[in-house]
Amino acid sequence: MSPARTRLVAGAVVSASTLLLAGCSGSSDSSSASRDSINYALPANFTPNWILPIGTAAHLNTNNRSIADSLWERLVAYDGSTGKIAWNKKASIATDADFAADGKSVTMTLGDRHWSDGQPITSRDVQFWFDLIKANKTEWAGYTPGQAPDIWTSFKTVDDRHFTITFDKAYNSEWMLANQLSEITPLPQHVWDKGGDAKQVWKNLNDAAKNISGYASDPLWKTISGPYSVKSFSTSGKVVLTENKKYDGGEKPGISTVNLLPFTTADAEKNAVRSGSVDYGYIEATDLDQEESFTAQGYEVKPWSGWAITYMPYNFNNPAMGAVFNQLYARQAVQHSIDQASLAKVVFNGTAVAGYGPIPQGQTSDFISSEQKTNPYPFSTDTARTLLTDHGWTEQDSVMTCTEPAKCGEGIAEGTKFEMQVLSQSGSTVTDNMMSAIQSSLAKTGIKFSIKTAPVNSVLSQTPQCTSDQPICDWQLSFFGTAGSWYFSAFPTGDSLFQSKGGSNFGNYSNPEVDKLISASTTSNSNQPIQDYSAALAQDLPVIWLPEPVYQVSVIRNGLGGFSQDSLANFHPAQWKWTS
Amino acid sequence: MTGGVETAGRPGLVAPFRAPLVARFARNRLAIAGLVVVVLFLLFCFVGPLVYSTDQTHTDLTQVNLAPGGAHWLGTDAVGHDELGRLMYGGRVSLLVGLAAGILATVIGTLWGAVAGYAGGWVDAVMMRVVDAGIAIPALFILLVVSAITTPDTAGLIVVLGLVSWLVPSRLVRAETLTLKNRDYVLTLRATGGTHGRAIARHILPGSVSTIVVAATFQVADAILLVAYVSYLGLGVQPPSTDWGGMLSAGLTAAYSDRWWLIVPPGLAIILVVCAFNAIGDGLRDAFDVRGRG
Repeated sequence: MSPARTRLVAGAVVSASTLLLAGCSGSSDSSSASRDSINYALPANFTPNWILPIGTAAHLNTNNRSIADSLWERLVAYDGSTGKIAWNKKASIATDADFAADGKSVTMTLGDRHWSDGQPITSRDVQFWFDLIKANKTEWAGYTPGQAPDIWTSFKTVDDRHFTITFDKAYNSEWMLANQLSEITPLPQHVWDKGGDAKQVWKNLNDAAKNISGYASDPLWKTISGPYSVKSFSTSGKVVLTENKKYDGGEKPGISTVNLLPFTTADAEKNAVRSGSVDYGYIEATDLDQEESFTAQGYEVKPWSGWAITYMPYNFNNPAMGAVFNQLYARQAVQHSIDQASLAKVVFNGTAVAGYGPIPQGQTSDFISSEQKTNPYPFSTDTARTLLTDHGWTEQDSVMTCTEPAKCGEGIAEGTKFEMQVLSQSGSTVTDNMMSAIQSSLAKTGIKFSIKTAPVNSVLSQTPQCTSDQPICDWQLSFFGTAGSWYFSAFPTGDSLFQSKGGSNFGNYSNPEVDKLISASTTSNSNQPIQDYSAALAQDLPVIWLPEPVYQVSVIRNGLGGFSQDSLANFHPAQWKWTS
Repeated sequence: MTGGVETAGRPGLVAPFRAPLVARFARNRLAIAGLVVVVLFLLFCFVGPLVYSTDQTHTDLTQVNLAPGGAHWLGTDAVGHDELGRLMYGGRVSLLVGLAAGILATVIGTLWGAVAGYAGGWVDAVMMRVVDAGIAIPALFILLVVSAITTPDTAGLIVVLGLVSWLVPSRLVRAETLTLKNRDYVLTLRATGGTHGRAIARHILPGSVSTIVVAATFQVADAILLVAYVSYLGLGVQPPSTDWGGMLSAGLTAAYSDRWWLIVPPGLAIILVVCAFNAIGDGLRDAFDVRGRG
């Protein structure tokens, strides 16, 4: 053999042998963690690159926002860190919200709080945020047309610790508090407002925030209200937070130094957990049957449930299958073919829960309807087949084919085969296994389901909202929910997902009755409209409902406690404490 | 070696050494062992399912991750497929893609190299710069890009692997052609009015057959490895199809559990088959090597 060939074969043999021997490998000794610090594993392939609590969507993702929240506390911290999704007043600047009887305004009360430079936090700091967002709303990550700040008509300062925000009409106070007012972060106006109009200030702040290497040294970022400050912030992704000694809020840090560690892959992170260099990390659901090996290393394995739903959107405008997807009986047949209970138990190793509608089912809530809870379309491929055969479909070569177009429905031609393809997120064995199982059960119904995989960013870019005459509209089903498809704010309204022309209504679902229910859910103070919405979408199937996986399966070093994992998928370092 | 029979009696061709060739190959025990391994795997993958029939289309979530036993000789995987049946099923794809892509790469490379070497001059320069440029781009990178923008299937993998693997054979055949095209019998053919095409088809290619055959075996081994790489990265054939690389990738999650049957069988299969094809290639090279004859 030539030297190059010898190397090639030897490399292959070594690689394969390494894998073969992997099953025999033992775990390395875990190092004991310092009681003054903690190593937290950030999600794989995520690199922190922003600390400013205002900015564009490209910067203000969940994890960047968690870091920002540790530096500048929100006006209303609405999260699940206390065990249930609610207003966490200990981590908030505001202490009270008094809604007017007519539901058209709210008067907020600030706590007696101070910036790290000793200046008091006042209504002026809230108004500074308000003015910046009003003037730059289209660039702001949290902007959805028809919501804040569009619906806030005025900001009136009552005194240093009280102010009133007026709305354009009456709104559901819980929605307003949980989804809108919770976006506000009081900012240090006396430091950041260096002249110019709101647009200029926005630009200056965002330009300054692009200099990652200045996060630890730029005086601009030294005036904070949160429990931590930045000690170092590497462009490669490692962030070190250190306790803010001047913090006078309710969530004093339990650990003085927090190391946030980036990882390029989940495997790299898992290896770090096995080596003991991570105190709070994660593993994959498929690793749960090795739970004992992690507990033996001194970790507690604890699934982190997310306030999320998981689904596969149909493309109702797809030229080939849109007409089929538009038939409710066809969607019912598909949903009857999904064995969610088995998927949750076997494929997800028991870490997922079945999801039958638009309200998350991993947590109890007052928003869910009895219809959604009880699953309107239980798994039965026989029922699914009957639905299709009753509507003019006949199985030919193992695939259901429309043989009676009058029964099949509008736009479905004779000879149409029930064949659909999903573009699914790659890189997850659990997702691959789920897709294989769904493919198998749909085949029993007579529905051909082919799978194509791509990285999640490609899935999202290749499955956009579209019209049937656009070439990009050739996608039929999309899946981007390995860790949940959609994470809600505290109030799980569906305006963006299922309202006609909603910003994230990828499949172009449209139902005027549902639109009315969504609108009512944000304006009525009753939970009845959102429960009706839950029932309507559980029955109308705008998407294929799928099991809701956990946000992550956490591995937490023994002795680290004092907190609940926030189902809104944010992390709160100030709550972490070494208890032993 | 049919080319040798057709061209028997012409100077410079290999037909007179046909019988010794087989004998010399047979004396190489490692090459014979490789041949046996390849034949056994072909029988295992293509005849095995007739004896050991399993359902590789549907999953069975009530039978996941079962250890080897009476009902499932090699256990089951994470979605309930019988692992032994899956090994046969996946082996079909791995071997089919490997063999077909290897042959395709060899055919393309042979024609390209023969034409370039025979034509010489600027044609040769342009054609070989194309080869140089192609070699500069990692094949795995091209495969990943193509896999990302298309839906990989068996036929697609064969074409893509074939199209990224022909570069090395083309260089080998060109080098062989450069030595053959100035032989007296080639020059005589041209002097008597024979066409360039005839010279290539009747003399150059048959004269390069030893190089081509040896290169083909290595190409097959390389193609099997490449398809394993691509599948290992999750961009191979899509379910319910699979191949050994895909099986290895899926089994990796069991690396720290005791489910060895998800990793060891596909891993061993890849190692054995790749080594076997390389051993056959080495044996053929030694058998064709005139200088090595006693």
